[in-house]
Amino acid sequence: MGEPIRRLMVYVLVILITGIGCARMPYTTKTVHEDFRVAVAVQKEIAPAKYTHPVQLTADQVAAILRNFSLREEQRLPLRWFAEEVPPKPVFREEELVWVSPYLVEALQKAGPEERAHFQLFAPGMNRADTRNVTAGWVAVREPYLYLTIEYFHTEIPTRHSDPYYPNNPEMPPLPKTYLLFFEPGRFLVTDEKGARAVQFQDFLKTQVSPLNP
Amino acid sequence: MAKTQNHIGARMYEHDGTTGRFPLSGLHLFGVVLILMISEWLCFSSIAVAAESGKLVEKNGEYVFVESMDPATRLLLERAVKQGTITQDEYNRVIQESEQRAYLMQPSFKAWYDRGFNLSMNDNAFLLKIRGFLQMRFTQRYRNDGWRTGDSKNFPELLGVFGDYRANRSIDEASTFNIRRARLMFMGHLFTPDLKYFVQLAGETAENAQNPGSVQLLDAAVHSTHLPLFNVMAGQYKVFFNRSEINNATSMQFAERALVMDAFTASGLNRRDIGITVMNDEEVYPVNYYFGIFNGLGPGFNRFGTFESEQPTLGCPGGQTGGGPPNCPATQRNLNANFRNSINQLMYSARLNFNLMGRAGYGEGDMAYSETPQLAIGGGYAYNPGINVQTDNAFVGIDLANLNVRRQLAQFGNARQLGWGTLDYSTYGFDGVFKYKGFSLQGEWYWKNIDRHGKSAPCVQTNAAGTVCTTVAPGLLGNATGWYVQSGYFLIPRKLQAAARYAWWDPDTNAAGDLIKQVDFALSYYISGTYDHQVQIQYTNIFMGMGGFALGRSAPLPNLPTVAINSSGTVPLDANAKNLIENAIRIQYSIFF
Repeated sequence: MGEPIRRLMVYVLVILITGIGCARMPYTTKTVHEDFRVAVAVQKEIAPAKYTHPVQLTADQVAAILRNFSLREEQRLPLRWFAEEVPPKPVFREEELVWVSPYLVEALQKAGPEERAHFQLFAPGMNRADTRNVTAGWVAVREPYLYLTIEYFHTEIPTRHSDPYYPNNPEMPPLPKTYLLFFEPGRFLVTDEKGARAVQFQDFLKTQVSPLNP
Repeated sequence: MAKTQNHIGARMYEHDGTTGRFPLSGLHLFGVVLILMISEWLCFSSIAVAAESGKLVEKNGEYVFVESMDPATRLLLERAVKQGTITQDEYNRVIQESEQRAYLMQPSFKAWYDRGFNLSMNDNAFLLKIRGFLQMRFTQRYRNDGWRTGDSKNFPELLGVFGDYRANRSIDEASTFNIRRARLMFMGHLFTPDLKYFVQLAGETAENAQNPGSVQLLDAAVHSTHLPLFNVMAGQYKVFFNRSEINNATSMQFAERALVMDAFTASGLNRRDIGITVMNDEEVYPVNYYFGIFNGLGPGFNRFGTFESEQPTLGCPGGQTGGGPPNCPATQRNLNANFRNSINQLMYSARLNFNLMGRAGYGEGDMAYSETPQLAIGGGYAYNPGINVQTDNAFVGIDLANLNVRRQLAQFGNARQLGWGTLDYSTYGFDGVFKYKGFSLQGEWYWKNIDRHGKSAPCVQTNAAGTVCTTVAPGLLGNATGWYVQSGYFLIPRKLQAAARYAWWDPDTNAAGDLIKQVDFALSYYISGTYDHQVQIQYTNIFMGMGGFALGRSAPLPNLPTVAINSSGTVPLDANAKNLIENAIRIQYSIFF
């Protein structure tokens, strides 16, 4: 092997080693609940987040907040300039709120300051033998804000690691999309000091009539 | 729907009431149990119907849930119940009939796009998924001067109806565009999701192909997954033998496999074969077994296609243009009989895979960005007997052993085995893979035991009468071995991967100066964050030793004027052979849709 090749190998090795530790993705630290309809887990953030977890909320409060979110998929440029804007859709159905809220409460109680509550809602996919229809995202609280990010909205996600039809072909879920989130009443949806959109949830909850004390 | 269940609950109560009027005896108890079972069955059947209160439908590229009943009608009915205009039973019946009607009125099939075009019956008893895979490549090569004398041993060209050996020679620099892969796939299930089918057509040309590509059937297989412990696959497909043989071209870390990966397949000829495999479901069991029986001659072929040439006198090899082999008549015709003496043979392949940690799978690289370490080790053994790679008589180079078999050997770099008669291949392979948080490490070691039916050195020259062997080959064909190790890391998770590989291959353990060493570096950008859409750039350095003896291409050659001089001559193809070095850069775009 010639000297230039050896030198190239060393360079690539250095780049690889330098790269290790740079690339990261959030990872699961605790699984709170998992069944055929819903999965909730606590995930570790990769960048300092300084959330005010653990947070004490009730399932009704979480459901009340999530119920008022709606979304629209963000189009890529240049389609964004020309695409007709479709009206936002509610993120959650009522039964989904019933399923997911108690576990999100639990996750927010177990999460630390650098962790977030990740959820997935499952429904049968177009081909039940291969995929399921998934709505997924995560919730975090940094007083006075509550952050919601949606990664998948009714997206077909493979249920297996390898394709059941194309032998041994790995199956990967698509990359999460970017969704524009809306909240009603809109005055509670604000921009925090870092420029992220969040809900002033405590103020919002004060406007809600308690089911126990109408 | 909840009200429908209440109605069902009421029916269950009626059954219970019925049982209370009879004194209990064994027979009655049996009857009660039977009635309960039937009522239970009825309940669940009814629930199943009632559960069809709506469905997900695709609208403008998104899936939305649509109630099967008009919401306005449902609202009016609910108000009618509250006002007492209709009874609860009437409400339940109308709701159920409405849902039944909506169910019957909807189309009995659905079509959508999700990693291919999908067409399915609503009851999921049939699925057709159509996918395409395109790989466009530009290759820039720089070769040393050794390529002027070329390669006649590992990758020679076999041309003409006789398949004469041609050394593969070239100038130093080459720039080529290539449709490396163009695939069309039809897959899905029939009757039940557990009876799957897979058909793949290819219309591509390999980089070293001698003919324009034509459409060819690559895979045609049926796969039963009814029993997770005992899945069965039958047809033509890739043999489950070693990791690089199993993995698909759609999920590689590099634009091209290493040469050693192509050389050590189960059959020794091709990755694909026709046969049957039993295995367990690798997603269910941590230890996976694969056992297969195949023709052993590659795709679209069986052993009736291969033969040995024979003169009218039994046992006397044919093919020569005059004279005759030792102990055979000298004046017989040369093109006479095709003797099929291996049609009772089959290839056997077995593999075990241990998922020690997680499920590493067969795709290369940690695209999934595994949160926990994934570790698997495996090993395979394949026995492929009776492969006629050209009759070993004194007239090498002009024998009519099957050209398809010989060309497959030459295409995948096993051409040193040509001319050595009938061979039995016993191939071993051991592999391991580790993946964690974007990092991957994979390696394999191969060994191919080559057992020649003719144990002595083949005759390469006879006397003038062609009756006595005067010169035999200076050495015997050895075994073959090789290994590779490759590693990759996602610099940007699911988007950008860097990978490096080193491969080593000894095609003939009895020969010196014949090693093949390969170094690869690749950078892959995954446009959609999956294997399906990517751009790769790969740098490859290959060193190919041209030492060693190759029958029919190295001295001594048959040189009897009346026998073989017109075909093989007296100057061997490797007379001035030098070691070959190639540096290549491949830029490749792949889309799997």
